[in-house]
Amino acid sequence: MGLGDWSGRLCCTAFFLAVAALSVSSRQAAASDTSIAIIDRVPRVLVLYPYDERIAATTAAGEALRSRLLEATNGKIDLFSEFLDLSRFPEGEHVARMARYLGEKYAARRPDVVVAVGRESASFIVANRGTIAPGAKIVAAGFGTATAEKIALPDDVIGAFSTFNILKTAEMARGLQPDARHLYIVGGSSDFDRSWLTTARADLKQFSKSYDTTTYLEDLAIDEFVERASRVPPDSIILALTVFKDRTGRNFVPRDAIRQIAATASAPVYGPYQTYIDYGVVGGNTVTFDALGRTVGDLVIDAIAGKPASDLEAPQTYVADARQLQRWGLAEKDLPPGTVQMHRVKSLWEEHWVLLVAGSGLLLAQAGIISVLLLERRRRRDAERSAQLHLLEAVHLNQSATAGALSSSIAHELNQPLSAIRNNAEAASVLLRREPPDHELIQQILLDIQEDDQRAGDIISRMRELLKKRNEIDWQEFDLNDVTSSAIRIIHGEAERRGIKLTSTQPPGELPVRADKVHVQQVILNLATNGMDAMLNAVPAGRTLSFATGLANEKAELRVSDTGDGIPEERLIRIFEPFYTTKQAGTGLGLSIARAILETYGGTIRADNRPEGGAVFRVALPLAHREERSR
Amino acid sequence: MKPVVHIVDDDKSYRTATARLLSAHGLKVEAHESGDQFLARLSACEPGCVLLDLQMPGQSGLQIQRRLRELAPLLPVVFLTGEGDIKASVEAMKAGAKDFLEKSSTTAALMEAIDRALIQYERQRAGHDRLQAQRALVAGLSPREAEVFRFLIRGRLNKQIAFALGISERTVKVHRHQVMEKLAVHSLAEAVSIAANIGLIDQDTASPAG
Repeated sequence: MGLGDWSGRLCCTAFFLAVAALSVSSRQAAASDTSIAIIDRVPRVLVLYPYDERIAATTAAGEALRSRLLEATNGKIDLFSEFLDLSRFPEGEHVARMARYLGEKYAARRPDVVVAVGRESASFIVANRGTIAPGAKIVAAGFGTATAEKIALPDDVIGAFSTFNILKTAEMARGLQPDARHLYIVGGSSDFDRSWLTTARADLKQFSKSYDTTTYLEDLAIDEFVERASRVPPDSIILALTVFKDRTGRNFVPRDAIRQIAATASAPVYGPYQTYIDYGVVGGNTVTFDALGRTVGDLVIDAIAGKPASDLEAPQTYVADARQLQRWGLAEKDLPPGTVQMHRVKSLWEEHWVLLVAGSGLLLAQAGIISVLLLERRRRRDAERSAQLHLLEAVHLNQSATAGALSSSIAHELNQPLSAIRNNAEAASVLLRREPPDHELIQQILLDIQEDDQRAGDIISRMRELLKKRNEIDWQEFDLNDVTSSAIRIIHGEAERRGIKLTSTQPPGELPVRADKVHVQQVILNLATNGMDAMLNAVPAGRTLSFATGLANEKAELRVSDTGDGIPEERLIRIFEPFYTTKQAGTGLGLSIARAILETYGGTIRADNRPEGGAVFRVALPLAHREERSR
Repeated sequence: MKPVVHIVDDDKSYRTATARLLSAHGLKVEAHESGDQFLARLSACEPGCVLLDLQMPGQSGLQIQRRLRELAPLLPVVFLTGEGDIKASVEAMKAGAKDFLEKSSTTAALMEAIDRALIQYERQRAGHDRLQAQRALVAGLSPREAEVFRFLIRGRLNKQIAFALGISERTVKVHRHQVMEKLAVHSLAEAVSIAANIGLIDQDTASPAG
């Protein structure tokens, strides 16, 4: 996973960001490496852009950086920009010439900080810092940490890293188009484009399995890209990486290439860059240039102030174009949480608020009168609601306590499948080294591992259900027998541990009741743990906890009986009162909560001693469809 | 004969997985789904050691261990538990458990515990076998030779024995020679050591249960 992940966040590099560099006092900076004290003059920052000025991504980030710096220094800063144009002129001579040229150009005004936007700029300045900006702090930005490692940035270069994640963009697309069956990935022919495609292949390997077809549109001329995209089936997702260059060697600003493709595409196009918005893509997961620019700005400011700075990761976000959502009929609610929507049509309120406020004023006056009349009623409802909330709160606390009490047996239960999985896996790995390996046995082992995994999952989901917190009652109709059985499954481990026998009798047919299932389960677990506790001192051989369901007085009834010492007569009447407990570690809330729960659903609970010894608790709940049960 | 590891665990998947793991490591394994089942088959089982689950329905691991001590005292018991339980582990060790392992223990720990148990078993069995053999040798003495043997190990001289048994010293010598031959020993000290092993020195009638 690690590897895939890393490469997945593509370092986008070059195309992205721009950063600024600040040049500060050259001499002093040279003297002291770690702190730059700028005396009697404004700091100088040089921003190196890898491409020409048309690449929106880098210039946008550069712009954000610029405003951040101007704002933080009150304008007392000298900002310089250089566009290195390294992708169109990659030749060594151009690079050397550029280095010489900049060295001479900035001879009298050595930068204090150099911001290198993109990988190419970073490599360039690292190689030529002595010529251009000796002693300057270098801030590199606009690519990912993986790239940073690849180009071996020196330790004193600070990075504002950004990673571009095609997988997240793909997941966004899947969320919006859950029914899509085909996946297309578009990428160009430049070195950068190709490395992006390689990364995407690795990142999307798993993802693409859920699609009928996955097609990489690569090594195509721009017209072919456009043509292919216009013929994809409508239930497709098109993911656009970058097209800096097409097969014929023609150079592009990627978003222009994407615009051509998206214009006539027959399915929605997504891409991991903010700059693609407005150019026909629906959206993607990206580092916004604003965020990146600000992150870099903060680093530069720290560098100027001589503060120690360390690498930062620019925050990522989902962006979407509301107009494209509309064009393709995609639902806003399917966007990942926190998606920034661009070009959303303003609501009526946003558009005409003055008018609306005035009109509402009149209505408000009338409504005020009505409100007063309604207030009384609302207060009463609120009180009921808050009482219910308190009950839910108490139930949840009690759930946690029960879960805590059962946790060791649940852990025990969970240990079985997990240990089995491990032993099976190790056995398989030994078998695999045999010559010849026993494929049939290994196959069986894998099946068993799957089964145990399922079993562990079930235990965990039962546990989760036990802990689930609710603000609302979840009314549903269910069979009291089912809930009883599932409660028995939860406690069977604990009962076994304590040497208690569990028995259960259920009549044929259902006992449908209407309530919150989790709450009823909670009642049963409370009664069961009480029963087990009551048998602590009983003779081991005789310890039995019995569950019996049935009909009684037209109601669904559950009886939980133990073989403990029973309940002293004088306590029988008080046992359901809050904070009444006979247990050393008890809260005295279990039974009172049980009663409160049952009363909420129109049910009752009572406790008795059994003539043969031990106690019995009877729970009754109204049947959901009384007319269907005739007996 | 290769010793057998007996896994007694009610959890089918754990039992199967562990049996596979141990077989894969070259051990002979038999799996039993309950203590009762294991006890019922015990007489037909190849001995070795027992991996005993602590918590099972029916008789618990501790109860089974108690029965095993009576029925097969040489069989070492390694306890397995889903989750550690101090009280139970103390009880188990006091009752002679060889080891107490959590099911989540590493394979290395499990294999090590089994190795230890099997080594102990082999050692005990070897000792036990030797004892049996020595008993058989002693049982092979004629009644008169046995009498002579009993006097000998108490350090009586030939003439004392001859007097006590009313036979000639020469005859005693013949018997004595026969005894040493039959017991395959070369010195009186060795004969005495055999007698001590099988418990003849303290009492003539009973030997300790073995």
